Amino acid sequence: MNQRTRRPAPVITSWETISPFGVGRAAFRDGILAGAAPEPVPPAGDQVPGISTRPVPDFDVRAVLGKKGTRSMNRVTGLTVATIRELLAGEPEAEESGQRRGTALVLGTTTGSAQSMMDFTHTSLTGKRPYHVDPAVFPNTVMNHSAGSAAIWYGLTGPNVTVAGGRAAGVLAFNYVRRLQVSGRARTVLCGAAEEYSTARAWLRRHSGTADGAAADEPTVLGEGCAMLRVEAEAERGLADVLAVRSGVFAAPEEAGRVLVASVRRALADAEVAPGDLWAVAADGPLDAGGGAAGAALDELLRETGARRISCVDRIGDTASAAGMFQVVSLLVHAESEPSDRPRIGLVTSVDRDGVAGCAVLSVRPTGGQAPTSRPA
Amino acid sequence: MPDATAEQGRQRVVLTGLGAVSCIGVGAEELLQGLSQGRSGARPITAFDTAGFDHAVGCEVTDFDAGKHLRTLDPASLGRAARFSVAAARMAVADAGLTDAELAALPGLVSVGTTDGESRDLDRLVEQGLAGGPEAMDPEVAARASVASISAAIAREFGLADVEAVTVPTACAAGNYAIGNGFDAIRAGEVDFALCGGADAMCRKTFTGFYRLGTIAPEVCAPFDVDRSGILTGEGAGILVLESLESALRRGARIYAEVLGYGLNCDAHHPVAPHQESVADCMRLALEDAGVKPSEVDFISAHGTGTRANDVTEARAIRDVYGESPPRTVSVKSMLGHTMGAASALAAIGCVLAITRGFIPPTINHRTTDPEVALDCVPNEAVRADLRIVQNNGLAFGGNNSVVIFGRYDA
Repeated sequence: MNQRTRRPAPVITSWETISPFGVGRAAFRDGILAGAAPEPVPPAGDQVPGISTRPVPDFDVRAVLGKKGTRSMNRVTGLTVATIRELLAGEPEAEESGQRRGTALVLGTTTGSAQSMMDFTHTSLTGKRPYHVDPAVFPNTVMNHSAGSAAIWYGLTGPNVTVAGGRAAGVLAFNYVRRLQVSGRARTVLCGAAEEYSTARAWLRRHSGTADGAAADEPTVLGEGCAMLRVEAEAERGLADVLAVRSGVFAAPEEAGRVLVASVRRALADAEVAPGDLWAVAADGPLDAGGGAAGAALDELLRETGARRISCVDRIGDTASAAGMFQVVSLLVHAESEPSDRPRIGLVTSVDRDGVAGCAVLSVRPTGGQAPTSRPA
Repeated sequence: MPDATAEQGRQRVVLTGLGAVSCIGVGAEELLQGLSQGRSGARPITAFDTAGFDHAVGCEVTDFDAGKHLRTLDPASLGRAARFSVAAARMAVADAGLTDAELAALPGLVSVGTTDGESRDLDRLVEQGLAGGPEAMDPEVAARASVASISAAIAREFGLADVEAVTVPTACAAGNYAIGNGFDAIRAGEVDFALCGGADAMCRKTFTGFYRLGTIAPEVCAPFDVDRSGILTGEGAGILVLESLESALRRGARIYAEVLGYGLNCDAHHPVAPHQESVADCMRLALEDAGVKPSEVDFISAHGTGTRANDVTEARAIRDVYGESPPRTVSVKSMLGHTMGAASALAAIGCVLAITRGFIPPTINHRTTDPEVALDCVPNEAVRADLRIVQNNGLAFGGNNSVVIFGRYDA
C-alpha cells in the first residue's frame, strides 16, 4: 500500500528506562552490556507457584517521586511518571515555557494495573457494604490512568493515547505515533510502555499459561519497568529513524511464525531494505502461545539474513507490554557501544498470545546522530 | 463538502457499515428504532449481585446470544466485551455488503476502544479466588480476560491476517479515539478498510467506583436536567466500517455518511474532572481538521453523562466554541446509559443514522433544563431535521478528549 510512498520517518531522539537493572539509562546500558542478569527472586508479596520476578530494585513510588500527589498512586503509574521525569530531566525546556503544551504521549499496556482493578473488586466483595471502597484509588482501576497522570504531572496537553496490546503493545504504539505524526496531530511524542509486577498479574499469567497448554510448573520470570522514547516527527540530530511498522494477526498459535515473517517482509519492503541489509534483530523470547512457532520462523530469517540477535528478555524477565520498548532500547544500547559511521538497520519483533505479531524497522543513525544521507550499509 | 483533502492527495473517508449491540436493541436498525422512539434501556442490574447497594439500575444488554452472530470463534473463548465487539463487527461487515473473503484480501485496520476490557472476567476471578483461593481461578476465564482480545478477536473471527489490530483503552472517549485512528489510516491511504468502534461489558468494579463517587443515578439518567442525579452504567458495542470514498464508489457500496475529521487532546488537569478550556480546544481541533465552521454544525451528540460536573462543563465549553446560540445538543446516554468505551462508538452510529434518516434523537427523562446548561437538548421526543454536519463528543477520565465530525454524503 501507500506506506511505500516515502515519508519522513519518526526519529527517536532520546530514551530512558526504569528496569530490573535500576533507575535510569546508565543502569540499563551497563546491565545489558555486562551480559549478566539479576538473579530472579521470589516475589515480595504472596508467592505464586512457578513464578519468580526481576523487580525494579528499591522502587518505592513515594520515595522516588515524593509525597505530593502520590498517596494513591499505583506502581505502574509511578514507573511511568518517574521514567518520564528521567526523560525530561536535562532538557532545557521548562514547563513554564509552554513547550510541553501539545506534546503527545502514547503508552503501551497490557491491562493497566490488574492488581488495582482486582483489589477494588475484592474490597467491594469483602467490606461491610459493597461500596465501602476508597474513592481515591478508583482512577487506578482505569487503564488510561497512567498516561493521564503523566500528562498532569508534566503538562502534556497533546494527544494522550493508551494502547493495550500485551507483548505487541510496543509495535502497536509505534504505529500510533507514526500515524499521529503523519496526520499532523503531533510533532513531539513520548512513546513508551510500562508494566508492574503484581500478585494479580502473576496469577493471571499462571492460569492463562495453563490454558495455553504450558506445563503447570514451567518456571516464569516476570520482569517489570518502563521504557520511554522521545520521538520527533523530524529531527536533524537523533538516534534512530523508525522506517516502517507492520503487524498482522494469527488465528492459531501455529500460524504465528508465518504472520510474523509476512509482517517482517512487508516492513522491509516499506523501508526499502533488503533482508541481507539487516544488522540486528531484537526479538522477544518464545514465551507465550505462538512464541515457539514465531521463534522458529525468526531463526530461519536470521540464518537467511546473517543478522545478529539481540536479547533482553533473558536479562530483565518477561516485561509483557513493556517488552517491545525494552527491545528497542537494547538495540540502541548495542549500537551505541559499537560506534559506526554508517546507518545500521535494526528490527524489533513481537508476538502476543492474543494474536498480534508484528515488527518495527529502525535505521540507527551513524554515531553523532546526523540524519542519514546515504542508504544504510 | 469542501474537498481540501483531495487536493493534498488524501483520501476521503466514508462509512459503509454499522453494527451495534445495545440495551435498546441489537443491530443498527433496532438501535435506530430505539433512538427515534426515545426508548429507555434502564432496568435492575443482573450482571452482578447488587445486594447491599441502595439502588442498582443500569442499562444492561439482555437477550443477546453471541452464538447467533459468531461464525468462527467459540463464544466461550471470549469475554463478554469481546463477544459484543465481534458480534457488532459481524453485523457491520454484513451491513457493508462485504464478504469474509473480500475483507481478508485487503490490508486493513481493526481499532476498538474500551474502558474496562474484560473487567467483568477479572471480577469473576476475584470471586473465584475468594471462594477457593487463587489456585481455584478458572484458567479459561484468565486466558480470555486480556484487553487486546476485543480487537484481535475480530481479526481472528474474519480470518484477517494482513491487518493491524489495536485496542485503545482511553476510557470513556475510547470509541472516538478508535474511529479517529481508522480515519487517519484511511485518509493517508495506508489501509483499504477499518473496523472501528468500542466495546464494554458491565462490571461490579466500575459500578462500585461510580457509586462510591456518588454519581450513580437511583432510577434514570437525565442529562442536562436541573434535577439530574447522575449516570447509569451500561454496556454494549458499536463497530463502524470505514473505507475510502474511492473504494466505496468502486464497489457500489451504500454510503451512510462521511467522516470529515476529528480532534484529540488531553486536559492534563485532573484525573476525573473535565476541564472546560481543554474540552473547547478539542472541539476546535476537530472542526479545524474537518474544515467546518461552527455555524455549519447542525447538532451535537454530547458526552452528556448526566452528572453536574460533566453537563455544566461540557455546556460551557460548547458555548465557548459556538457562542450564545449553539446547535441542538443531545445525550443518547439518557437512553443507552453510559456504555463506557462503547459510548462514543454507539453515539457515532446514532449520529450517522440521524444524518441518513433525517432526525435528531431526543434526550429523554427531561423535565426542566438546568439554567447553567441552557441548551436545546431535544427533550423527550425525537424531531425531524435535515442534517448536513454532526459533531460527536467523547470525554474521559484522565482528561482524554476526542471529538469526531460526520457529514452527509451527497452522491
